[in-house]
Parts: sequence; C-alpha cells; structure tokens
Amino acid sequence: MSLAPSSTTLPSMAADWRDFYALTKPRVMTLVIFTGLCGLLAAPGHINPVLGFTAILCIAVGAGGAAALNMWWESDLDAGMKRTRHRPVPAGRMEPTSARDFGFALSGGAVMVMGLAIGWLAGLILAFSIFYYAWIYTVWLKPRTPQNIVIGGGAGAFPPLIGWIAVTDHITLMPVLLFLIIFVWTPPHFWALALFVQIDYAKVGIPMMPVVAGERSTRLQILAYAVVLLPLTLLPWWLGYTGRIYGVAALVLGVVFLMFSAKVGLRHTRGTDDAMKPEKRLFGYSILYLFVLFGMLVVDHVATGYGA
Amino acid sequence: MSQPLTPTELAAFRARQKSRSRALALVLVALVVLFFAITLVKLKTEKAGAGGPAPTSTDLPLTKSQGAQ
Repeated sequence: MSLAPSSTTLPSMAADWRDFYALTKPRVMTLVIFTGLCGLLAAPGHINPVLGFTAILCIAVGAGGAAALNMWWESDLDAGMKRTRHRPVPAGRMEPTSARDFGFALSGGAVMVMGLAIGWLAGLILAFSIFYYAWIYTVWLKPRTPQNIVIGGGAGAFPPLIGWIAVTDHITLMPVLLFLIIFVWTPPHFWALALFVQIDYAKVGIPMMPVVAGERSTRLQILAYAVVLLPLTLLPWWLGYTGRIYGVAALVLGVVFLMFSAKVGLRHTRGTDDAMKPEKRLFGYSILYLFVLFGMLVVDHVATGYGA
Repeated sequence: MSQPLTPTELAAFRARQKSRSRALALVLVALVVLFFAITLVKLKTEKAGAGGPAPTSTDLPLTKSQGAQ
C-alpha cells in the first residue's frame, strides 16, 4: 500500500531529512559539542573513548531535541522574523507536531542513553538542561522578561558541566565555574546580536533588552557583563584548578573581549544607516573567544597536568 | 480546498520520503553499532571490577607538583 496520498495537497510529510536536521540548530550545536567535549577532556580521571563519544553524542542529541522543541513552540514567532522564517515549520515544509514529536524523541532518547551508558547524574542534568531550554527559557522567560537571555543563558552553559560529570560522576567547583563562564558570556554575546537584529524582535513582540530597556542600557549591560567575565574566567587559575597556559590565555582573550565590549558599550548608534560594525565584531569575536578559551583549558590540562 | 498532486509533485514527494527512510535506516544501523560497542565496554569494565566512571581526585584544587606527576 502506498503511503503517498494521490489526491490531496502536497503533504507536510514532504519534509526530508535535511529539514529534521535543521530543527536541531546544527550551528548552535557546534558550540555545544565543543564545550561539552572540553569539559569531558579537562575533567580529572579517565573515560573509555566509546563512553566519551556516547556522552558527547547524548549532549548533542539532547541539545538538538531541545532546539526542535524550541522551533515547534516558536514557529509562529519565527514566521514573523526575516532571520527565522525559512525554518522548516514556518516555511510550511513540516507539520508543527512532527517537530514536537521529533524534539521529544531526541530528548528522551538522549537522556535514556546518557543515564544507562554513562550515569544517571549526567542523565539527570542533561534532562534538566533540556527542560531549562525548552520550557524555562522558550515558553516561560523569553516572551515575558528582557532578562530572558540572562537566565536562559544557563541552558547553553550545561554542556561542559555534563561533559565533566560524565567522567567524574560528581559535581565539584570547577565544572560549576565552567557553567558560570558560559552563563556570564551569553548576555554580551546575544545582546550584541540583538542590537543589530532588534527590529525583527520588536516586530514579533519578544521583549529583548534593546527593545524594552533601550539601546543605551543594553550597551552598558554588555560592558558590565564583560567586566564580570574577565575575573570569572581567571578564577580557575587563581584557585589552582588550571595552569599558566589557561590563565594567560584567559587574561589575553578577556582583555580583548573587554575592549570590544567597551567599544559597543560606550558608543551611540548613528541614525538608521549605522552599519553596527562594533556590535557585529563583538558578536563574531565572542564565538571565537569561547572556542579558544575552552580549547586552552584542554591544552593546559594536557600540557601541565593540572586537574589530572 | 485541497488540490490533487501533480505527477511531478508526487515524484518529489516519493523522493523525499525515500531519502528520509534512508537517513533513518542509517541512524538505526549507527545506533545498533553504538549500543553493541557500549555493551562490550560495560562488560569489559564489569569483568575488570571497575564498573562506572573512573575514580577521580578530590575536589580540592591541585598544586602544580601534585597535578603534573
């Protein structure tokens, strides 16, 4: 029996695998995989490579599941924004329920495998991180408060914590510091983006900081978070959890981050034809910053043996 | 009112369905391989009497001399 209805409209079943793949937000997942892997590699102790791979896969699939649930819930909003209207659900290539079911299946599968293969503490934190992103951030905070990004930033901060716990099976101060670093990094990273796409957010009624508190306040808050981020990234070194390689890298990277943030924080937009170059530069650098910072954490661990 | 699918649309529909089925089959095969590998690792660690995550050092910060042994 053919599954294809021959006398109806082109069904949403026409979504192909690329559409499902797009639901997982692969570009965001790159950072999730990388920070999770760094947490796993920098953790004290040893994990079998197969189990290590499984842990990272579960973190990635869990993040993909949460992203699919986010796209299902926000499909109406996505349809109203230039940046997101080509996503599979708002573009009409997929039924919203397919995105929802796909999200639940990925999330449930990732948590089960993490729990059974790695450990239930890692599985539990993975489950909470999915709930945090899909419900606390997407459903609850994002449409209600301009602080959505601040608190929601926690969702993206879980991967190194989970990667670390996959190895150690217990929570210590160091993975919590890694969590806090991404938590504090998120507002300046995202608000830099929100500054140059704020028209889109305003159009669909999302209370992003530039829309609600105004550009001036957002710029100053970006600078404030960058000021807090610098000593926070140096804490692992000061507390003796890492060696000099990480410490020097964190200092140099942090100072540059602060300089870019100061350029954004202390300037005013010059009318509607402002190209927002400092904001775009800060957004781009913030991604590189996190990649290099966490990379250096692993390099330091391997080279100096700290935390071994 | 719904419109009937044209032969071209029907062909496109079937092609997408086929590519999705292939992708799903690949994922399932990969999962079988992964679960088999996990089982082998678990059996090996249980046999060696060291099930679960590897023991770790304490929560205290390590000094250079301790950590770099």
